Amino acid sequence: MTPPLRLEPDRVVSTVCPYCGVGCRVDLYVKNERVYRVMAHGGPPNYGALCVKGRFGLGFLHHPDRLTTPLIRRRKGGELEPVGWREALDFAAERLAWVAAKHGPDSLYFISSAKATNEANYLMQKLARAAVGTHNVDHCARLCHSSSTAALSRSLGSAAMSNTIEEIPLSDVILVTGSNTVETHPVIGAMIKKAARNGAYLIVADPRRVGLAESAHLWLRLKPGSDPVLFGAMARWLVESGHYDRAFVEERAEGFDEWWASVREYTLEFAESATGVPAEKIRAAAERYAAAGAAAIYWAMGITQHSHGVANVQALVNLAVLAGQLGKPGSGLNPLRGQNNVQGAGDMGALPNVYPGYQPTANAAVRERWGRLWGTPQPETAGITMTEALESIGRPGGVRAVYLMGEDPVTSEPYQEHVRAALAQLDFLVVQDILKNETYPYADVVLPAASFAEKNGTFTNTDRRVQLLRPVFEPPGRARPDVWILARMGTRLARLLNRGSAASWEYPNAAAVWEEVRRAAPEMFGGISHARLEHENLRWPCASESSPGVSVLFTDGFATPSGRARLLPAPWNPPAEQPGGEYPLLLSTGRVLYHWHGGALSRRSALSEAYPTLKVEVNPADAERYGVRDGAAVWLVSRRGRIRAVAWVTERAPEGVVFAPIHFAEEAANRLTNNAYDPVSKIPEYKAAAVRLEPA
Amino acid sequence: MSRVAVVIDGLLVQAEPDWTVLEAARSAGVEIPTLCHHERTGTEGICRLCMVEVAGRMEPACATRVRPGMVVNTRGAAVEQLRRTVLELVALETNVEYDDELSGWMEEYGADPTRWGEPLAGRRQRKPLADNPFFVREYDKCYNCRRCLDACGEGIQGVWALAFTGRGAEAGVTTTFDLELAEAGCIFCGNCVEVCPTGALVPLEELRAAKGGPS
Repeated sequence: MTPPLRLEPDRVVSTVCPYCGVGCRVDLYVKNERVYRVMAHGGPPNYGALCVKGRFGLGFLHHPDRLTTPLIRRRKGGELEPVGWREALDFAAERLAWVAAKHGPDSLYFISSAKATNEANYLMQKLARAAVGTHNVDHCARLCHSSSTAALSRSLGSAAMSNTIEEIPLSDVILVTGSNTVETHPVIGAMIKKAARNGAYLIVADPRRVGLAESAHLWLRLKPGSDPVLFGAMARWLVESGHYDRAFVEERAEGFDEWWASVREYTLEFAESATGVPAEKIRAAAERYAAAGAAAIYWAMGITQHSHGVANVQALVNLAVLAGQLGKPGSGLNPLRGQNNVQGAGDMGALPNVYPGYQPTANAAVRERWGRLWGTPQPETAGITMTEALESIGRPGGVRAVYLMGEDPVTSEPYQEHVRAALAQLDFLVVQDILKNETYPYADVVLPAASFAEKNGTFTNTDRRVQLLRPVFEPPGRARPDVWILARMGTRLARLLNRGSAASWEYPNAAAVWEEVRRAAPEMFGGISHARLEHENLRWPCASESSPGVSVLFTDGFATPSGRARLLPAPWNPPAEQPGGEYPLLLSTGRVLYHWHGGALSRRSALSEAYPTLKVEVNPADAERYGVRDGAAVWLVSRRGRIRAVAWVTERAPEGVVFAPIHFAEEAANRLTNNAYDPVSKIPEYKAAAVRLEPA
Repeated sequence: MSRVAVVIDGLLVQAEPDWTVLEAARSAGVEIPTLCHHERTGTEGICRLCMVEVAGRMEPACATRVRPGMVVNTRGAAVEQLRRTVLELVALETNVEYDDELSGWMEEYGADPTRWGEPLAGRRQRKPLADNPFFVREYDKCYNCRRCLDACGEGIQGVWALAFTGRGAEAGVTTTFDLELAEAGCIFCGNCVEVCPTGALVPLEELRAAKGGPS
């Protein structure tokens, strides 16, 4: 039905929201080359609903800070000056090739983007692996769900939501942990709340009194960082009391004995002392979860962004396996992916250890296959992660040149001063983006890119749904789609470095890139074409053109070598930095409803009027203790820096914990955060830094 | 479960047992006009525009489940007279200038609000409420279908920032204690704007663009 309009649109274009991983389908109403109304599609994944960001937060498209012309800095210390595309691409390619030739291909690093299309991500990793010859490519999932990917891959063989959004109403029990779903995935948050109103039993495990905690039947307010004890104790209780799914464990899992030995100490009483959650609540949560006909776990950054993030996720995996809550409709393990295309960026191999389709780079046969496909030998040296790469800058054998697409490390990496110092030491930095950001001043080349509304391609949402973008506008000025830019960069680097044929970089459009993806990873994407996506809802895995793709994962086996789910110990280690002494409070960071990540998009839209300045959540007891009033200016100080904020005195934050949003570059929470990393996933510990609070 | 056979305007319709008369009619290509009904918000039986005749009785198609052997007449003089009156009363109370669908039905049913006299002052006097950066509430254009209430509360969002108050000509949508939306707990998802059929809820950007000003 046509909505009642004050203004007849010049056109209405159906596309996908650019903000979060829910991947809401939207219609953009356009008049005089501006979006004036956003309407939701009735079908999946959003079923007629949107949140404030997608509906009212697209003003960035028309903002004067859009990058519209290529810029180069001819020498360090000089100014960025506008040039034509040919000169900018030649300049960038020649310098990247020079660094690769002089210091080896592994001195280059390629940072892809979970905001860019699948096609652009595919080309970025191809640029690294084919044109340059390095596995040094990664993207911002390193900072968000790398812990989930690591634990899910090794235990289950597949790293994605195992259920779908449309299965939310099918769960009898929903356990949400470390996810402020109603603010960070609002459309899914509303669906979970509705499921709870319709009879599902909602368990929320979170130190903060997040929105969903108010709707929960059972809220487990655990101490920050005690997650493996809570979930380990739940699993241990299920086994001890005989409530676990013995048949499932015997038929479909392995590693029970080793796991059982690892949770021997995690009695309910021990868990109560370690987590602060009463033993009775832990027991009730475990029994409710295990007894459900179908129970699903949803989690996000509160679980993953710890120096023991992989163990946190592992504890959830173990719990699901022991309860047999996997592989059924409404029953599974569901990491809520943050960025609109963070699922896709990983699927496309924008990771140092896997090719597209999660084919491991460590496997010689796999490398050989890709070498044949691209017509150039594949590097044997393993790639390093983005966080390791940034730490390596300035060190012997470290990274010397970075190609950055749609990422702002200065706001998004931990310990900001450290990151700034590293970027200043680079020989060469390429920034390919749609807007000016905090990293832009460090660039030697700036390549202006097209936004989601100005290009073709696909995004893959959090439940593996591959969705087609449609261009609404021409890119502003001389901005070009990422695929256009990367293909031209590939041609140049392949020629300069004499790797493969320049012809393998000729793509008439994004669909041609996707066709290569289909051929390269047929089990996952063989059945998905841009043409089918015009009129069908498809999700991976989708091997054939006659299939709509698989909804519930693991119904009859796991994607591990043995086909069984691997139980693994999930050891509990406290956060790397403990509050105490001069820094008596624990800082947790995250998002709020009205903003997006580093703020580059949301703060250039009407959203900024609803939430203009940084507010930190302070528990009333701490406010009293440190002389802070609600609404007053405060300093938050860590060993690494200080930021000024407004105090929001609220019970949302538990005593001893302050929470700061990450969206305000001028008072960046990441000036405070700790560059401690999980040993496996290399994720930074954004959820725990020691700070103090001072009235400003 | 077995299907339920009903007759709608002489057509035999095999309906699912949980269908409403409205769903059964639409499945057979029979159009019944509705104001308050919305497939996702679940609002039912308020506006009375969808009244149909079932064995001599008037029943709301959107709120009546199919029954075996039901014979439904969706047109006919009595139905049309009732719809005409409903439309006239709505138009008498409400500024319907942006509601193309309703205006079309008024023409189709020959509705003439002036036969009841002057437009009613009540809700037509309500001033636009612009208390947030995202959308404006122009309740002079609202005919109380309550879709917005349902989208905000039970139907989609589970927030209940909106409330319904008053009686008769004074009845209308507001927030608790007429608080500003942000104070009432609104999270500005705009799902109320999405389902609003009259243009009473309108994006600020659209208003600005329509006025030709800088948006």
